[in-house]
Amino acid sequence: MVNGITLGGVYALIAVGYTMVYGVIQLINFAHGEIYMLGAFLAYSMVTVLGLPFLAAFILTILICSGFGIILDFIAYRPLRKAPRLAALITAIGMSIFLQNLGMMIWGSQIKSYPRDVLPEIFSKTAWNVGDVTLSWLQIFMLVITIVSMAILHLVIHRTRIGTAMRAVSQDKTTSALMGIGVNRVISFTFAVGSAMGGMAGILVGLYYNAIFPTMGYIAGIKAFAAAVLGGIGSVPGAMLGGGVLGIAEVIGAGYISSEYRDGISYAVMIAVILFKPAGLIGRQIGEKA
Amino acid sequence: MDLERLGKHPRLFFLGLGLLAILLPWLPMGGSTNYVLRILTTAVLYMILALGLNIVPGFTGLLDLGYVGFYGIGAYTSGLLAIHYDMSMWLILPLAALNGALWGTLLGAPTLRLTGDYFAIVAFGFSELVVLVIRNDLWLTRGPMGLPGISPPSIFGHPLTRDWEFFYLILILLLIVLVVVTRLQDSRVGRAWFAIREDEIAAQCSGVNLIRYKVTAFAISASIGAMAGAFYAKWFKFIHPDMFKFWESILILCLIVFGGMGSIAGTMLGALILIPLSEVLRAVLPQGLFSARYLIYGLVLVLTMRWRPEGLIPFERAQARKAWLAKERLKI
Repeated sequence: MVNGITLGGVYALIAVGYTMVYGVIQLINFAHGEIYMLGAFLAYSMVTVLGLPFLAAFILTILICSGFGIILDFIAYRPLRKAPRLAALITAIGMSIFLQNLGMMIWGSQIKSYPRDVLPEIFSKTAWNVGDVTLSWLQIFMLVITIVSMAILHLVIHRTRIGTAMRAVSQDKTTSALMGIGVNRVISFTFAVGSAMGGMAGILVGLYYNAIFPTMGYIAGIKAFAAAVLGGIGSVPGAMLGGGVLGIAEVIGAGYISSEYRDGISYAVMIAVILFKPAGLIGRQIGEKA
Repeated sequence: MDLERLGKHPRLFFLGLGLLAILLPWLPMGGSTNYVLRILTTAVLYMILALGLNIVPGFTGLLDLGYVGFYGIGAYTSGLLAIHYDMSMWLILPLAALNGALWGTLLGAPTLRLTGDYFAIVAFGFSELVVLVIRNDLWLTRGPMGLPGISPPSIFGHPLTRDWEFFYLILILLLIVLVVVTRLQDSRVGRAWFAIREDEIAAQCSGVNLIRYKVTAFAISASIGAMAGAFYAKWFKFIHPDMFKFWESILILCLIVFGGMGSIAGTMLGALILIPLSEVLRAVLPQGLFSARYLIYGLVLVLTMRWRPEGLIPFERAQARKAWLAKERLKI
């Protein structure tokens, strides 16, 4: 159960990136999972090759990832803003494949793990032991990071000018532009925030499973997308809720039903949700031609 | 541009290519004939797959990321029927196609109500589930051990084993699929699909039953995919769950996007260029980097969408639309 919540928190972090981008430009950014993968690997390279301390690598990676999100939008999606949606969707898939294989070329396809000695020691220690439930400091760290970043995100969206602009753009791009909002700037910002969250999630998962590999973004991306859909795509609190529910469902399902179908459970949950409640648990109904 | 003229007169071009294909096994190529034939058989196989997939995103305008699921269903239908019932290939092909259509309908009927992006994701989830089932249900599919020992097809008791025999066989299949697809394109059903692609709401207002035509498109596409899978199993004689992963869907999508989505000639040309290219890369790239060939496919997708969204051989109606839009702009 605790594992489920931790996992769910990470899914939620990735899902937020999907949902924000979808909310603003109605595009499923398939390359988002690859940003998550890049995050994990960038931190790995910084820790091992450059010898940076873990926290510095953590922060630097997040910054680079958000920059990367902006570049991705700039080179791949912006030229297609007015093109049919199918074109943008195919571009997103193309970018995803490209980045994934780029990662494979740079870092090789073997599974890598963060070296134990560069991580803060406290991560491997057990914090609590209540009955059967063990809670490690790493899990606490993950939960705290997730909750704090979600809280910050919530504040940004609801309390700042750029957040207001984001909400406006997601409702109506043309009108927002008429109101003097720099739509492209807002979209860039959205990509930056979403990618930062994705990169952060990548590092956390890399720590948690102690394994990073170039194709990690693909499965995690799909699951996070499932979480985003589950919660209602376009809705940030929905993504958080969806991530939590999916994480728990997966751990329970793997424990009680069959661990071979662990990934299958997410797909099945996703398909069921899309079929029966396409607006998600707490999403708003999306019109046919939004 | 030359290619655009080609798009208008594809018949002559493909007649020439077809003749070349028929003569091919008899051309003097030294010792490499069989190698070339195998590559071309693969290319034609992918042409069939691409023609099948093209019906959904190309004709109907829905992104289908789960195509490879039907390919896998077809391959395993064929493999299992061949092994357990020793069925003839001529019975297996239609049965596999039927099974593909069945699953296509089962998946399509409830999910095609969804808007485009959601549908793409559900189809993707479906194809991943297919692979998971194949991998984990050992009693049926032997899972990750694969399915070896599929008997080769035979004609009048003469088993096909040589490369040129398979090459001719798949050319015949291609011809059948090609006739079906072109006839569909020019039929009432095809027109309904194009109407859906251009504008769903307008199509609905003109009396097109959206769900019915979408499911039809999906089922036909699935059955072509399954048939290609059935051939593949009989040709390769060994199938494995990893052969039907998501990558394959992307590859096939890449073929039609590159060649010209919606255009039959373009779709085929895309397969004819990109599949042998992958073989060239296999020869050129070092072993470890070979898996990175998908990098190139990813780039092809992105660059095509960016600079030539209509592909190599644009779909005729896409050209017409472009011309019309240009005229409209002049008016304003």
